[in-house]
Amino acid sequence: MREIVRLVVVLTLICVVTAGALEILRVQLEPRIEMQEDLNVRGPALASLFGKPADELLANKVVFHHNDVDYPIFYLKENGEVTSLAIEAAGKGGYGGDVSIMIGIDLKRNRTLGMEIIKHAETPGVGSRIEKESFRKQWQKLPSTEDVALGKQIAAISGATYSSRAAINASNQIIAQVRDSKDEILALIQKKENG
Amino acid sequence: MRFWRSFRKKKTVKTDIYIMKFKKVLLNGLWNEMPPFKLVLGLCPALAVTSSAENGLGMGMATTFVLVLSNLVISLLRKVIPDKVRIASYIVVIATLVVIVEMLMKAYFFNLSQQLGIFIPLIVVNCIILGRAEAFASRNPAPLSVVDGVSIGIGYSISLTMIGIVRETLGAGTLFGVPIFWEGFEPFAFMVKAPGAFICLGVMLGLMNAYSRWRGEHLVQLQS
Repeated sequence: MREIVRLVVVLTLICVVTAGALEILRVQLEPRIEMQEDLNVRGPALASLFGKPADELLANKVVFHHNDVDYPIFYLKENGEVTSLAIEAAGKGGYGGDVSIMIGIDLKRNRTLGMEIIKHAETPGVGSRIEKESFRKQWQKLPSTEDVALGKQIAAISGATYSSRAAINASNQIIAQVRDSKDEILALIQKKENG
Repeated sequence: MRFWRSFRKKKTVKTDIYIMKFKKVLLNGLWNEMPPFKLVLGLCPALAVTSSAENGLGMGMATTFVLVLSNLVISLLRKVIPDKVRIASYIVVIATLVVIVEMLMKAYFFNLSQQLGIFIPLIVVNCIILGRAEAFASRNPAPLSVVDGVSIGIGYSISLTMIGIVRETLGAGTLFGVPIFWEGFEPFAFMVKAPGAFICLGVMLGLMNAYSRWRGEHLVQLQS
């Protein structure tokens, strides 16, 4: 009996101590990991959408919470006014899981600036062709208030309809955010700017 | 005076034995039990991530970090941990260290961690680490166990980097990302793919065994 108690106590103690150590380290490192992820994963997409070096843009970040989904949003300011947004969303229905894309939106002209793929797990050589310029450039200068659909504004990649549709789903989520919650997003940005 | 002399003599003999022991343990991982060539363990990362020298070195360093610390912790706890739950305790310790490595890599070497991907978390099940914990750290004092971890870890890093160098130079024509061949060189692309890993490891293992036999050493596989 005493032996069993000892087994349980020792194993529990080891688990508690290691879990505590991990938690402390996680709290310490989390901001840095997030920064690195922004810089390396979202940085290139942001730089290409806004045409500016990524490290100038990464600080302009807010996270918009809507219907239990978090949308990371980056913004560009000119003369104290928010001129463009870049919104990220994960589209359901991909062949290998969600397809995360980022769409840039010009708020003055109400047009899209373009689309960039952030993260996907589609089949290499098949679904991964959504990364190609020829597919992505279809998102340039679309009206930013209208939903997009396959066969209308966007032509699907042949053999990769699932992946194309996931990208469409994500862009419709983003478009819906801008159409329905634009004021809330701008208020959120204002709040962040004012500290 | 006499007492002092005997004391000094005794002490030097003792330290000599100690230094010899450390030296033996330190050199052990660099040739006699060098993984994965002599101690044929930890083959999964040795085959999977050595497509470039940089990846091999990164993986070796990550494994060394886990190995040294797991040896230290397990050796310190060796009298506390009951025999019946020792494997579970070792796994908890090792898994914690691996998560620490994963977080540190994400925070400071993001691109490397993206390239190594799933193989960083998989260090948990690397046989070398559990093997050294069970075979060495659970029976030896902490300083010696740390030396063993350093030695095996460096041996593993050297091996992985060597495999990486061979595969990268032949398969991509570069070394640590720098092109080293003339312009028209057509790399053997299959060397950076999975079959190339098997062939490269097999040939290197064979050469090392041939060299050991030529030197008259017993092979580790035959000894046990």
